[in-house]
Amino acid sequence: MMNFIRISARNLLRNKLRTTLTVLGASVAIIAFVMLRTVLSAWSTAADFAAKDRIATRHKVSFVITMPKNYVDQIRAVPGVKSATYAIWFGGKNPKKPEQFFATMAFDAPSMLEVFDELVLAPDQQQAFLADKQGAIIGDVLARQLGLKVGDRFTLQGSIYPGDWPLNITGIYTATKKSIDRSSMFFHYSYVNDSLPPDRQDQIGWIASRIDDPGRGPAISAAIDQMFDVKDIQTTTMSERAMNLSFMGMISSLLKALDVISIIILFIMMMILGNTIAMGVRERTREYGVLRAIGFPPASIAWFVVGEAAVTGIVSGIVGLALSFPIVELGLGRLLEENMGAWFPYFRIDPKTYVMGMGLALVLALAASIVPARNAFRLQVTDALRRLA
Amino acid sequence: MSTESPIVSLKEIRKTFFRGKEPITVLDGLSLEIPAGSFEALMGPSGSGKSTLLNLIAGLDRPTSGSAMVAGANIGKMSDGDLAKFRSGNIGFIFQAYNLLPVLTAQENVELPLLLHGLSSAERKKRAQTALRVVGLEDRSHHDPRQLSGGQEQRVAIARAIVNDPTIIVADEPTGDLDRKSADEILNLMDRLNKEFKKTILMVTHDPAAAERATVTRKLDKGQLR
Repeated sequence: MMNFIRISARNLLRNKLRTTLTVLGASVAIIAFVMLRTVLSAWSTAADFAAKDRIATRHKVSFVITMPKNYVDQIRAVPGVKSATYAIWFGGKNPKKPEQFFATMAFDAPSMLEVFDELVLAPDQQQAFLADKQGAIIGDVLARQLGLKVGDRFTLQGSIYPGDWPLNITGIYTATKKSIDRSSMFFHYSYVNDSLPPDRQDQIGWIASRIDDPGRGPAISAAIDQMFDVKDIQTTTMSERAMNLSFMGMISSLLKALDVISIIILFIMMMILGNTIAMGVRERTREYGVLRAIGFPPASIAWFVVGEAAVTGIVSGIVGLALSFPIVELGLGRLLEENMGAWFPYFRIDPKTYVMGMGLALVLALAASIVPARNAFRLQVTDALRRLA
Repeated sequence: MSTESPIVSLKEIRKTFFRGKEPITVLDGLSLEIPAGSFEALMGPSGSGKSTLLNLIAGLDRPTSGSAMVAGANIGKMSDGDLAKFRSGNIGFIFQAYNLLPVLTAQENVELPLLLHGLSSAERKKRAQTALRVVGLEDRSHHDPRQLSGGQEQRVAIARAIVNDPTIIVADEPTGDLDRKSADEILNLMDRLNKEFKKTILMVTHDPAAAERATVTRKLDKGQLR
């Protein structure tokens, strides 16, 4: 069936090199767009993985300021709180590879295994961890990266808590849910605390509490904060999701920048398409003149141009999205999940991003065709035919 | 169709273009009647207004003043859209440079004007095949234009011009890009269209041999018929 789209598609194949380069250029823009949108969605997905029946309490001013350890006992007494644990951010590094990032936290081990019950640890490894003050458990992903196994000895280099901190790897954990990062290292709070000078002891970074009813989370949080309102150090209690989002708030400028860049990339794509379409229209002016002469109305000529843009946009969208899958999900995604699991526990392209990418490829191609289509629409037959000579 | 009744009737036609603010009158009070079924050649030096006159008769342009009746329609007063419909139903075009769409086969090029008439695909193919048979290129229907010689391309263009059974065929230098042999073949074909199929043909040419094939030759100079 001969129709506008078919003729438009054939027109695109007249200059195969230019069409290929245009489609590739637009596809690269689509890939970059998908990648940036996936970074943004993966970041918020990390927050969405948070447990709904867990709340977190931190210093009212900032996450980086510590609170007295005895707060945890008072929180355990709040109605609705089933259990609570506490931790500090240790900020340790692998002395052999200081540039490698992984989360290191010192927890109250017995209560931590109760509060974070989606963490899976073999019973013998759990016993060994609880029995050894220098014991540490690491996620299976981090164990692979560091080449560690149970029974190994590993020395962490402290930054917030300076010095060398030898640890015994007593267990390698996995997780039943994405709320647990499998590239972290946990060890005993008492090991760190007992090594500190008296004036720095018994300070904690945050308290994680398991509650009996997720629906009462805001009320329980308010009760906890109210309890400490009269103290020198006040608290802020929030859902685990809100806590994760507050981490993201620290990098909100970066996220906004990525958002803006993704829009700029789309405009670049539109200009690439617009340029190609305009060149095609200019080259085919005499053919459009002939079509007009044999009776095609001006709107039909404009439709030829729009059809050509639509075909280019659709092909670019399909190619871009087809390439995005292996690049983003199988390449970059796996790399980020392995190495930055704390930030990107699930780096996968959101189906909405596919739809958005395809839709935008088509819409922007159509937008790019507006001016060339208008020019084709306004073409004077006699002027167009004069280009025959 | 009677050969006596004029199919083209132009009265006091004036066509003025503007180069910047400077008016240039190309046709100056020209009157002309062309009987239906005639084969007329229009000759004249470059810039004499031949193509402008052809464009006016074909409904590609409108006169600045004067009356232009073609195939019973007052085309001087028509909108762009109405002119397009008029051309689609009444005019067949043959251009010097053939102007086939290179992305379409010979048959698809011939089918192009029929897309405007809401015909089924099968009907379009049937009519295109008939037109190609008339010009002797039925066996080349699936060839791309680049696979055809210049003469064959022009024959495909003629098939495209006649496929919707137009009242008038306008030809602007139809043999201008062809060698003598191919030009003669095209002129023979036009002669046949005129005599056998009773088509009114108006041809602009610089070639005296081509003009000899016409039943009437008109000469245009400085916007006036001599």
